[in-house]
Amino acid sequence: MLDIQDLHAGVDNKEILKGLSLNIKPGEMHAVMGRNGSGKSTLSNVITGREGYYISKGDVRYKNESIIEWPPEQRALAGLFMSFQYPVVMPGVNNTYFLKSALNAKRKHNGEKELDAAGFLKLIKEKLTELDMDTSYLQRAVNDGFSGGEKKRNEVLQMLTLEPELSILDETDSGLDIDALKIIADGVNKYRSPERSFLVITHYQRLLKYIEPDVVHVLIDGKIVRSGGKELAIELEEKGYGWLES
Amino acid sequence: MNISSFESEFNKIMRRDYFTSHVKPIREQAFNNFLEKGLPNKNWEDWRHTDLKPIKEIDFRLSEISDAPAHELDITEFGLDDVHTIVIYNGHYQENISSVPSGVRLISLADYGDQNAWKIREPNDSPFDLLNTAFMDSGFCLTIDKGIQIESPVRILYISSTEKNIMVSPRMYIDLGESSSITFIEQYEGNCNEYFLNGSLIVELKENSRMSHFRIQNNSVDTVNIGNIHVQQDSASHYTFNQFACGSRLGRLNLLADLNGKGAECFINGLTLTNNIQHIDNHIVTSHNAPFCTSSQYFRSVLQDRSSGVFNGRTIVSEGAEKTDSKQSNKNLLLSKGALMNSNPQLEIYADDVKCSHGSTTGALDQDALFYIRSRGLDIVSAKSLLIRAFVSEMIEPIHHENIKSYIISKFDAWLNENTVQ
Repeated sequence: MLDIQDLHAGVDNKEILKGLSLNIKPGEMHAVMGRNGSGKSTLSNVITGREGYYISKGDVRYKNESIIEWPPEQRALAGLFMSFQYPVVMPGVNNTYFLKSALNAKRKHNGEKELDAAGFLKLIKEKLTELDMDTSYLQRAVNDGFSGGEKKRNEVLQMLTLEPELSILDETDSGLDIDALKIIADGVNKYRSPERSFLVITHYQRLLKYIEPDVVHVLIDGKIVRSGGKELAIELEEKGYGWLES
Repeated sequence: MNISSFESEFNKIMRRDYFTSHVKPIREQAFNNFLEKGLPNKNWEDWRHTDLKPIKEIDFRLSEISDAPAHELDITEFGLDDVHTIVIYNGHYQENISSVPSGVRLISLADYGDQNAWKIREPNDSPFDLLNTAFMDSGFCLTIDKGIQIESPVRILYISSTEKNIMVSPRMYIDLGESSSITFIEQYEGNCNEYFLNGSLIVELKENSRMSHFRIQNNSVDTVNIGNIHVQQDSASHYTFNQFACGSRLGRLNLLADLNGKGAECFINGLTLTNNIQHIDNHIVTSHNAPFCTSSQYFRSVLQDRSSGVFNGRTIVSEGAEKTDSKQSNKNLLLSKGALMNSNPQLEIYADDVKCSHGSTTGALDQDALFYIRSRGLDIVSAKSLLIRAFVSEMIEPIHHENIKSYIISKFDAWLNENTVQ
């Protein structure tokens, strides 16, 4: 599904990822854990195609195609999705309108019939119930006046609606209380399937108690220094990152 | 247009005998005052950012009888088919296709002058008011008597032809009696190459009256459109102004509102869209001269290419205008590096117990938001459109009148279609 090979990337002439490799197969849930400044954000931004990053070496391949030259929308239409660490507030942009436009862009790309207002409403209401969200959400502007938890729920709602094949969850647990965390984890777990893959990027092990990863990677100074099973996350929680540093 | 061309056109209008003789001395005095002042230049504080070259370099002429339409006009292309319309074509009143709802008295300037023993307000604040008085050649007066509510909006539609170099100077008076109300639309349309419209509108709102005023400025982009609006408000009167401007090469609105009676409300809004080398300047002065009055000035502009704009908003709170509540906000979106906006919200406060706020922001589209939208699968043109639409929606959404709103939305959509590029 996602194959990253010896990736060297950075911003403003500063190399941040220094030879990172990662392979995620269909149906797998991977977690990348690391401290602030280890390169977690750069990794998610480079995969999703944010402008301002350079790649000096290596490749990012999605379904056997190199995507590093693709604009962000092309990656999204191909089935890539990122739940943002800091979802953007967009006053004046209505949630329903935004999500319906995004879904229809994807359906059009896939050669499916676009949904009309009634069809979309039916679909979105099911997803809202799944995430225990109020229907007043539909009238509000994207993330405008949302609490931290509401913003993260909105990201997961978008994921459930757009049905990506590879989802990157970037610090999705930050700003969530335990109840919200459980609801979001439930939503993600139900969404798991043998065709869908996940990359969870996180500082803490907290979220991984509820979303069990198949593989855990430790990112230090732009490189993966250790990979293992879910027990590695527990070990990190107990010992911190220090023991893995050279 | 230099002084001698103004003089020769002035001599021409003074020889037109079909205007009442009462107007001659009024014209003469205004023209002499204009000659003393001259056209504004960039050394004038209120004109610092606006170049009047489009007026100075072209010799405009008065509209002649031959500039009237040869056939009956079809105005359906200008939308708003559910309103009463007064049509002025190249300065010529089109009586056969004009109407006003019952309850509105439509009279000529001559009759209005006679009725008021020629003691009518002649604004002389700016050289353009003086020019308007000197050259007034079209226009009308609308009077709504005490207690009368006019349900159907009244529109004055100014159409310009493809003829070149015409100068039109409409003068309009609107008098609202106590507790009366009206929705009034000024609409400017036409596909002319060079055209200079300099209109003055004088509005008087008596106690407790209400006016909702729209100004749709959709001239061709080679024209000059100067609007001079003077509003006088008595106590508890309510005035709302909404301008939608996307036309003219040079546009300037001078709107002066005087809140003279206790508890008057005055809300002035404007949305401006420009491209190429268009320049639109909004100059707004709200004067609080009585206590317990509320006012706001909300202006937004979207600027593409090398277009430019000015927001010069001033709110003056005079001594004794206690409990004034006033807000000013100007937000501008620059879609290209060559676009330029001059924003200058100002407050002058001479009273103690008042609540006043002002703010201004000018910037490009938010890169984080663009990436966020694109990461959901929408292309860059759709992403930009979505953000521009969101930016203007706060100006368009509050419009109550559905037909006017959908007409403005259709004009905005057309503009957005042409101006959103990768």
